[in-house]
This record gives sequence, structure tokens and C-alpha cells, in this order.
Amino acid sequence: MNADLISPEPRALIVEDEILIAEELSERLSRLGFAVIAAVDTGEEGIAIATRERPDLVLMDIRLKGEKDGIQAAKDIRQQVDVPIVYVTAYSDRRTVDRAKGTEYDGYLLKPFHRRELESTIEVAMKRHAVRTKEKETAGGGTAEGPTSPS
Amino acid sequence: MDTARARAVLGRTPGLEYREKLGRPAAFCSLSSKQRLCLAIFLERRPMSTPTITPRLLEPFRSAKRQLYAIGIVSALAIGSLIVWPRLSERLLSTDFLPHRYCYLSNPALVWTHVTADLLIGIAYFAISITMAYLVYQGRRDLPFRGLLTAFGLFIIACGATHLVEVVTIWVPVYVLSAAVKVFTAIVSLVTAVVLPFTVPQTLALVQQAKTSAQVTAELRASEERKDALLQEVHHRVKNNLAVICSLFYLQSTHTKDKETVQIFRDMERRVHSMALVHESLSESENVGRIDFAEYASDLVHDILSSHGGPNVQVQLKTKLERVIMSVDSAVLCGLILNELISNALKHAFPDGAGGQVRVTLHSGPEGKCRLCVEDSGVGIPAALDFEASKSMGMRLVRSLTRQIRGSFELLKVDRGTTACLHFTVDRHER
Repeated sequence: MNADLISPEPRALIVEDEILIAEELSERLSRLGFAVIAAVDTGEEGIAIATRERPDLVLMDIRLKGEKDGIQAAKDIRQQVDVPIVYVTAYSDRRTVDRAKGTEYDGYLLKPFHRRELESTIEVAMKRHAVRTKEKETAGGGTAEGPTSPS
Repeated sequence: MDTARARAVLGRTPGLEYREKLGRPAAFCSLSSKQRLCLAIFLERRPMSTPTITPRLLEPFRSAKRQLYAIGIVSALAIGSLIVWPRLSERLLSTDFLPHRYCYLSNPALVWTHVTADLLIGIAYFAISITMAYLVYQGRRDLPFRGLLTAFGLFIIACGATHLVEVVTIWVPVYVLSAAVKVFTAIVSLVTAVVLPFTVPQTLALVQQAKTSAQVTAELRASEERKDALLQEVHHRVKNNLAVICSLFYLQSTHTKDKETVQIFRDMERRVHSMALVHESLSESENVGRIDFAEYASDLVHDILSSHGGPNVQVQLKTKLERVIMSVDSAVLCGLILNELISNALKHAFPDGAGGQVRVTLHSGPEGKCRLCVEDSGVGIPAALDFEASKSMGMRLVRSLTRQIRGSFELLKVDRGTTACLHFTVDRHER
């Protein structure tokens, strides 16, 4: 990973209802130099923590416990704070991808994933977010958002 | 293979991945045999067979041949009567009467109003009957009530003719002709009037049938959607569970420092991965339970490469895969074998970070005979290696799985590197 990703230690939030997968993600993120602030299994908790803590990265499963699924949670989070969101899901059917496309996110990772897929997806997501932040700054705090799909 | 190459360069970046998936045609799902059975039972309940719709009166004239005969007979009769009765035509066109305009006292306004109105009615009637004739002709296979429509058309032509003759009689008093046309109109009208009531129940039945068929279509669509959703759900669960298994392997591997043990878990994780990948191809497959192995293999090859590669391994991957449709079971087995062969090549063919090339080819021959080869340009297998006796887990897997798909396997040391080929046959019922 890039040096600018590692220092200062970026903070990540994991929203995933499969605890073992959450553990793996948490382990892998720590090895990538992230501080995992929490791993939760409902959309509601995810929204609460993401808006309160403003992490540098959110890994979001689509199927979750609780009322809200990952796509709704991502939408809610991005309405309030601009954080890079990466979907980590086993869903690859058209309907889900279409629904996800309706939200703003920075990466889509299919389960099961490889270490390198996770790394490159997170890297791309963080870069996209950085570019977006820079654009906003140069645009004088304008509200223009970049495209939602990685290009 | 541009996208494949692009992917090899970019790694599996997510954007590329789902865009590719979206590019493929949406999966078409056919009905299961059980659903077909249910539908058959449902249809049995409401008979769908088209009832005989031509009224009894017109029964003898149902076929086009007979209609031709009827027209021929009528014409023959007409011509015959003209010959038998030479003065008929003379009588028919007799003008020993006063033209109709005298009745109107030659009032131009009245005369022209009559002429215009009659002409317009006549033309309109003919136009309508032309449309009907076209309809009957175009729909001659499927159109119900053809006989009735023909009678209706004749009736309209006759009506039009009476109006046109009315125009003529204003100046030329051919009242006999006028009467003849009226008699013809009367007969045709009567026939139509008698036939029409008989068709009412059938018309109602047709309307009901159309409604039922719309209902069946809607139910069919709903059931297809349900099945689609269910299938997606199954794929999702399987993939999710396999992902959990991968997580288990990974977590366990973090508890050991022994490199060999870590490698074992990596290998296991990759094997589970190759099985999970089948479901990616399967959920996009048009044919339930069948997949295009080339598509799956292409995904798999890049997946394996991305799971192996460290930054220091400069291995180029080339694929040339022909389309082979096979069952999921066979695809999983072939996928596992392919996984071992490629992993083997990546692990052993290029020691010390040496670069090279791995070529994966899938050839589809006649009668379902297939050849799947992995060639590398590496150091080649040690002369002492005996594939049949090799005790490595990878080789053991290849041996067992080859036996399961009833194929054969050969491992060759070539000029530069190694070639491993799997020969197998896809059964006809699998294709």
C-alpha cells in the first residue's frame, strides 16, 4: 500500500453480518495499516458510527441484520458524511448491482475475495475519495460529486 | 480477449468487474419440468383449444377450395341463365320507365344532394369491404369467424351497389337492375342476420379465452420472477458460505508462523475460491445447471493469478479458450484441476522470481471431446518426477479428479517448460 495511506493511521468501519468474514476483514485491514474502529452487523449501527466517527473507509456488506440493508445504509451515510464506501458482498446479480449503482460508493468487491482484490479495491476507493476531496476544495466547497462508479 | 488482457493488467478492479457482468445478456430462465407440469394442469382446467367457430350454415364452405367451387357454380348459373333466357339481359337493362329525376321534378339541389350522398355511401361501403377482404385474406389462418366476415363483406358490397344503382336511375331508368341488386342485397342481409346470432356464444368464449390467456401469462411471469429471485438467493447463500470457509482458513492461518502450514491454508482457500467462482458464471448462465466452461475458466485463470502474484513475479498469462457447455458438476471438477495446474506452474516453473509465460488453452473437438492444456515457459519438471507416483496434494487431486471425470492426463517436458494436458469428453446430455 502507499505510504500516504498508512500515515497517519486511517480508521476503518466494517459493517458485515457474517462475524467470521468481519474478523477476516478486520485482520486484513490491520495488516494494511488501518485501525478498525468497529465491526457491526446492522445498517443502523453502521450509520450511527459512520456519522459520529467519520472513518476514512467503510466496508459495507449488502445483506445485514436489522431493518436497513447495506445499500440503504450507504445512502444514509453518504447523505451526511463523505466517506469512501466499498461494498463487500456475495451479490452479483443485476438487480442488486443496479440498486447499488443508484448510490454513491467507491468500490464493489465480490465475496469470496483475494487479498490482492481487497487491497486494490480499497486503494482505488481511497484514491477516488482523495481526488473528490481535492476537486471540492478547488471548486470552493462546491457540491459537485464525481461519478459513482470507479473508472 | 481484450477485456481479459485489460483485466490481467489492471488486476480485478471492481469497476471493470461489474461492468463486464452488466455487459452480458440478462439471464433467461426457462421453466422447470415441475412448473411445466403445473402449467399443464392449470391449462387442463380451462380448455384452451379453439372452438370451431364457423357457423353450421357456412360449414360446407369452410375450405377455400369449396368457396371457389361455390363461386364457380353461382357464376355458371348466372351465365347459363343468360344463355337460356336470351332476353334476360335485355330485360334487366330495360329502360321503359321514367328516370328517377322526374320524381324530384329535376330540382338540381335535390338531385345533386341525392347523387352526392348515394355516391359517398357507395364508395364508403366499397372501401369498408376492401378492408374486410384484406383482413380475411391476411388472417386466413388464424382469424375466427371468417365465413361470417365474408358474408358481412358481401352484405356491405351489396348495400353499396344499391346506392350506386340509385345514382344511375336518376338519369337512366334501369329499375329492373335496381330491383335485382336489391333482391341480392336482401338475400345476403338475411343470411348474415341469421348467422350472426349463432356466433354470439363463441365470440364471448373468445373474449373469455383472451382474458384467461392474459391471466396465464401474468401468472407465468410472476412464477418466473419468483424462481429467478430464489435462484439468486441460492447462489448468494452458497457464495456467502464459501466466503465464510475462506475466512476460516485465513483466520486459522494467522495463528501459525510456519510457512508451510500457511501455504497449505492458502492452497485450500484458493480451491474453495475456484468452486465459488462457478456460481458467478452460473448465475449469469442462460441455461440452468449448464455453464460455458470457457467463460468460467477465463475468470478462474485471472482469479488464480491475482491470488498468487507477488509484485516480483512477472508472469504473463495467455488464454485461448473455445466455448464448451457443460454441467456445473463437471465444470467444478475441471475448474479444480485447472486451479492445480496453473498454481503448480506459478509455484514451480519460475523460481527466483524469473519471468515467463503461462498459456491456457481449451480446445473443443468433435463429439464433445475436449482438451484443456496449461503450458509454461519455465524451468520444466524434474526428470525424476513421476506424475502417477507423485505424493503432492496437488498431483493427487489432479489424478483423482481426472478419474472422476473419466478423462486422461499427460504431463510433458517440452523444449522450454512444461505442458500439462487434460483430455475429457462432455456427454451429449450435458451439452
